[in-house]
Amino acid sequence: MEKAPHLVLCIDDELIGLQVRKLLLERAGYRVATALNGPQGVEIFSTQPIEAVVLDYYMPGMDGGEVATSMRRIKPQVPILLLSAYVDLPAEVTSLVDLYMTKGEGAPCLLTKLSSLLQPVTAS
Amino acid sequence: MNLRQFNSVLRQVFLLPVVALLVTAGALYWQIRGANATVNLIQQSDARISQTILVAKLMVDQESSLRGYETTGDPRFLQPYLEAETHLPIEFARLENVAGEDPEQRRLIADLKNQHQTWTDAFALLVVSQVKAGGETHDVDLNLGGKAMMDHVRQDLDAIILSAETNRITRIARWHQQLHAMLAALMVVALGVGILIGLFTLNRFHTVSAAYQDSLEVLGRRADELFQSEQRMRTTLDSIGDGVITCDAAGCVQIMNPVAQDLTGWTQTEAHGKPLEEVFRIVDQATRASIENPVAKVKRLDRVVGLSNHTVLLRKDGRELDISDRGAPIRDQFGETTGIVLVFRDVTIERKTQEALIANEKLAVAGRLAATIAHEIHNPLDSVSNLLYLMRNGATEEESGQFMAMAEQELARVTQISRAMLGLYRESKTPVQVDLKEMLEEILLLMERRITDLAVTVSTDLPANVSVGAFPAELRQVFTNLIANAAEAAGPNGSIHLCIKPQPRGVDPAGLALQAGAWVIVSDNGVGVSEEVQSHLFQPFFTTKGERGTGLGLWVSQGIVQKHGGIIKLSSDTSADHHGTVVSVFLATNPTINAG
Repeated sequence: MEKAPHLVLCIDDELIGLQVRKLLLERAGYRVATALNGPQGVEIFSTQPIEAVVLDYYMPGMDGGEVATSMRRIKPQVPILLLSAYVDLPAEVTSLVDLYMTKGEGAPCLLTKLSSLLQPVTAS
Repeated sequence: MNLRQFNSVLRQVFLLPVVALLVTAGALYWQIRGANATVNLIQQSDARISQTILVAKLMVDQESSLRGYETTGDPRFLQPYLEAETHLPIEFARLENVAGEDPEQRRLIADLKNQHQTWTDAFALLVVSQVKAGGETHDVDLNLGGKAMMDHVRQDLDAIILSAETNRITRIARWHQQLHAMLAALMVVALGVGILIGLFTLNRFHTVSAAYQDSLEVLGRRADELFQSEQRMRTTLDSIGDGVITCDAAGCVQIMNPVAQDLTGWTQTEAHGKPLEEVFRIVDQATRASIENPVAKVKRLDRVVGLSNHTVLLRKDGRELDISDRGAPIRDQFGETTGIVLVFRDVTIERKTQEALIANEKLAVAGRLAATIAHEIHNPLDSVSNLLYLMRNGATEEESGQFMAMAEQELARVTQISRAMLGLYRESKTPVQVDLKEMLEEILLLMERRITDLAVTVSTDLPANVSVGAFPAELRQVFTNLIANAAEAAGPNGSIHLCIKPQPRGVDPAGLALQAGAWVIVSDNGVGVSEEVQSHLFQPFFTTKGERGTGLGLWVSQGIVQKHGGIIKLSSDTSADHHGTVVSVFLATNPTINAG
């Protein structure tokens, strides 16, 4: 790969889940930044050249919807993939993000969706 | 007019004639006394006349006797003269005595005595001495002188009698006058007193009659008011939606309103006078045992009583209705129970609605739990599936071992949660011994996520081996609800405290028996709830959480605790220093479960 690998920000309050997801994405060729809560994630998002965000919805304090809203205000062009342990998410939340999926759908699904989000950037 | 005034009128009507007649009798007595005095005077006159006649007779005797002696010279003829001479001074004294103080009479009597004395001295003694001496006494002059002296005596006697008779006539005339005056006065007084008594009695009876008229009018008005009041009561009874039966003190039916007739299937006519238990037959919904007749219960407790829940009314036609009822004593002015009122209504639909609401709340609780559980299971599943993917796509031996350990750890979490979930919905038919520490820890585990999300810290004081008899699933619902409420009330950075306090069997300071069991106390340091809100907290559909709450949580919890024969109570403080809410639930070790 000529280009430097994409920098992806993962935010999840589940430590093990976050560690495994980081490992998975690194194996798939991404650079990964992690945050254990919303405010920390927004901080990293605004200071580093993040190209895509993998965001957990259900977090204490600031939930995925609020984090996405803040991020859209800072850098609206950065794609966001929302992960949720719930099957159904409210429409006002899903409309905020580019794509969303339910946890447990499997690693291939996550990788496909993430790469589809980054495709247009690679093409340009 | 009251009875006292009426009695006073009666007394007046009795006393006035008595007094008036006494006065009349007094006046009459005075009049009669006057007449009596006059009669006495008349009698005096009579006595004077007869005394004068007596004296005159004695004098005639003397004169005749003297004349006989003078003619014959025989001393036997002189005997009457001598007798009269001894009697005369006495009879003169009597005559003076009966003459009284009359000066004319006194003068005449004195003159009579003088004349008689003169006749005696100048004629009679002379004649007697001459006859004794044997001399002649046929001297005409001497005898004429004697006769003239005796004529004077006779004149005086006539004058005395005439004077007495004149007096007598005057006095009789006066007596007649007095008699007439008395008769006239009697007539006038009788008429006056009669009219007075008549008028007075008339006046008094007018007063009584007016008062009687007033009483009649008042009674009439009272009767009208009573009728209107009764009509109002009847219309009210007929209009209300509850069944109302009133009974007399013996418990026999008096009045049934239309709803009561409709609900029991008995008409007023059929039921009137029948014992209440015949018309109003009630049994316990579950046991079918007869429930104590409300009349007996009200009498026994002597206060308003609400009758037990789950009461079924057996109608006359055999159909059954779920009812809720209450009875109250009717008291007279002395506080004696003179009857009983029974109010009841058909709660068949209400009970079904309640059951539906409880079922609905159970579903809502289940739904919320399902979402929590899905979340709790999906997180570890996601990690496990990611780990498997990594292992399949070329991981080193060492990495695989590490990944497997992580996967196992995550699966263990899933198992733990699934166990807790199974426990939640395992229904049992009879109460079982539930270890409170175990149950509360399981609930906290399931709620851990929610509590963490709310940034609430939980502290516990849960002694081991404290168990109570209960239906576990229902108890979990209660505690889940109370802990969720506490966590939401505490809010971010707030804290909640959970503790178990065993209660041994005993007697409280007020002297009430305490059951063996335990208190579960859930407290938070939220802002607290005002007293006004507290009073509504256990009502259905009351919520302080807006769209997020169903408003059934505490109501259902209370229902469950009561079914377990337990107690649930809430106290709250909204002051700045000690704000927070404490909910305490008591559950007995060996409870009496109320049918639900």
